[in-house]
Amino acid sequence: MAWRNVWRNRRRTLVTIAAMSLALLVMILYAGLMAGYFRDMERNILDLEVGDLQVFAQSYRDNPSLYTRIEDPDGLLGSLEAAGVQASGRLLAWGLAAGEDTSSGASFRGVDVERDTQVSKIHREVADGEWLDPADPKGVVLGRRLARTLGVKRGGEVVVLTQGADGAMAYDLFRVRGILKGIGDATDRAGLFMNEAVFRELLLVPEGAHQIIVRRSQEQPLEGVADLVRSVAAELDVKTWRQLLPTLASMLDSGRSAMMVMFVIVYIAIGIVILNAMLMAVFERIREFGVLKAIGVGPFEVLRLIVVESAIQTGIAVAIGATLAVPGLYYLSHTGIDLGGMSMMGIAMDPIWRAEASPETFTQPIVVLLCIVAVAVIYPALKAALIEPVEAMRHQ
Amino acid sequence: MNDTHSSPIAELRDVTKVYRQGALEVHALRGLNLSIERAEFSAVCGPSGSGKTTALNIMGALDKPTSGEVLLEGTDLAKLSRRVLSHLRRDRIGFVFQAYNLMPVLTAFENAEIVLSLQGVVPEERRERVMGLLADVGLEGLEDRRPDELSGGQQQRVAIARAIAGNPAIVLADEPTANVDSENAEHLLDIMEALNRDRGVTFLFSTHDPRVMERARRVVRIVDGKVESDDRRA
Ligand SMILES: Nc1ncnc2c1ncn2[C@@H]1O[C@H](COP(=O)(O)OP(=O)(O)OP(=O)(O)O)[C@@H](O)[C@H]1O
Ligand SMILES: [Mg+2]
Repeated sequence: MAWRNVWRNRRRTLVTIAAMSLALLVMILYAGLMAGYFRDMERNILDLEVGDLQVFAQSYRDNPSLYTRIEDPDGLLGSLEAAGVQASGRLLAWGLAAGEDTSSGASFRGVDVERDTQVSKIHREVADGEWLDPADPKGVVLGRRLARTLGVKRGGEVVVLTQGADGAMAYDLFRVRGILKGIGDATDRAGLFMNEAVFRELLLVPEGAHQIIVRRSQEQPLEGVADLVRSVAAELDVKTWRQLLPTLASMLDSGRSAMMVMFVIVYIAIGIVILNAMLMAVFERIREFGVLKAIGVGPFEVLRLIVVESAIQTGIAVAIGATLAVPGLYYLSHTGIDLGGMSMMGIAMDPIWRAEASPETFTQPIVVLLCIVAVAVIYPALKAALIEPVEAMRHQ
Repeated sequence: MNDTHSSPIAELRDVTKVYRQGALEVHALRGLNLSIERAEFSAVCGPSGSGKTTALNIMGALDKPTSGEVLLEGTDLAKLSRRVLSHLRRDRIGFVFQAYNLMPVLTAFENAEIVLSLQGVVPEERRERVMGLLADVGLEGLEDRRPDELSGGQQQRVAIARAIAGNPAIVLADEPTANVDSENAEHLLDIMEALNRDRGVTFLFSTHDPRVMERARRVVRIVDGKVESDDRRA
């Protein structure tokens, strides 16, 4: 009976099912795109700039000095590796970089080229030229805005000027080996990468590291890895990326909740459509329910009839919506949407926006849709179940 | 129970019914007394608005009186819960309404079967009984038609089959012939007369229809919510 009732008003049923399917489809794709967006944004920042965790000598972050170093980075790196996390050290210093006729403040970063590739993907982000190579000690890589400020191109010359560990002026002439793509404000404007060995020589820092970047695998929880690193590097300052970039972390979090708000709004709209359809389906048949109740059909059976009717429609809608979402999501997660490169809040974005397809991408919208239908069906179903037969039959 | 022949199947005692519409009070029944015996074939008639439908609804446990007593097979309905009343309607009362009796999505057979399913009768027995009933009301071969594939008279016959399928104590039919032409009305009356005669089914109609009044063995005339006359024929 429920099945036949569903197909009584074919057009309304189809419209209802179409609305629910479409809503579900949109929600699944939207959920996938947003999840992908946040994943890529997070991944970009972590991959290119901060890593998951950073380790410093105590007080370095408050007062970054050339002399405040992690004493035995190799030992620490070894223990971390033994504990199953990737890590690499960097040397940091500030000074002046000069091109042909301009100069600019720069942040010098001494990188262990081989190790660094395990913790950072910045080596892939060279727009022009190539990444550092230990075989090319005089080759440096510049942030794109620094390069523009200095007016240097790939192959051009840069003079680096700073104060060495001995307190004396240190300077040298380098060649621009590569210029980076947009990474993030700080790196774009001031980043100057050089080989670790060259850094040590220039600044007279034979050992130690200022910063150790730690990465975890997808399965390892951030806090878990943080605890692990803290246990290995007891005297050092261990910070997660969330602590290092609290604004960004909260931005990502609030972005996710903004996404939820969007969801709620769309779902309320869908809920109204469904409620309306259910109300119409019930109220145009109010006489029928009156007759049923008059001849002794109990309120529970009437309720069940209506619930089953909407369950049938919802089931069909879920099947259609989820089925259509599969190729859609497949396309969006593999091919993606080409945004042509844009940056948000100083953070470089992938030029291709790809969706994330996970079971939750499907289950969440489906569960919410089911809840909405359940809520929307309660009122009309109760109304029909509890109607007084005499009143219902007077209803024309 | 020992003296079923003298105790009425259904009885209204001093029943009043007041409908309230905002400030307005409509006195639909003003002290109605009506007693229906087993195997009666009776009609209540009266001008429009006199309270016929109200009386039938109250007798059929669809509506509650404002005052007075309603007894069905000796039981005072006032004491029963909604749930018990619903079961009582299912098991002891058959209803035929003026129109829109049937579920449009169900076939004639399925419509006639509803009450039996609710009573928990097993499918084979349901089938046997309903097929027999549909044959009795002259619908052999039309069991699988939907209401919209049946004439108004045929639909009413399905409604009659449904009403008596559960072996009720009484069938209450509110203007059952109002929406059918006179030929079909006669036919419906033939069918109900036969059921009354052969199966002893008790019928109480409300009607404006002189044909029904003519065929009824007892005609109770209600005016202004009270019995004005009560004619029994042999
Ligand atoms: N639910 C209600 N609310 C208000 N007034 C009602 C209601 N039901 C019936 N009435 C009024 O009660 C009176 C009796 O109505 P009832 O339907 O019993 O008359 P009837 O004899 O069946 O009339 P008809 O021959 O037109 O069917 C009428 O005045 C009617 O308007
Ligand atoms: Mg009436």
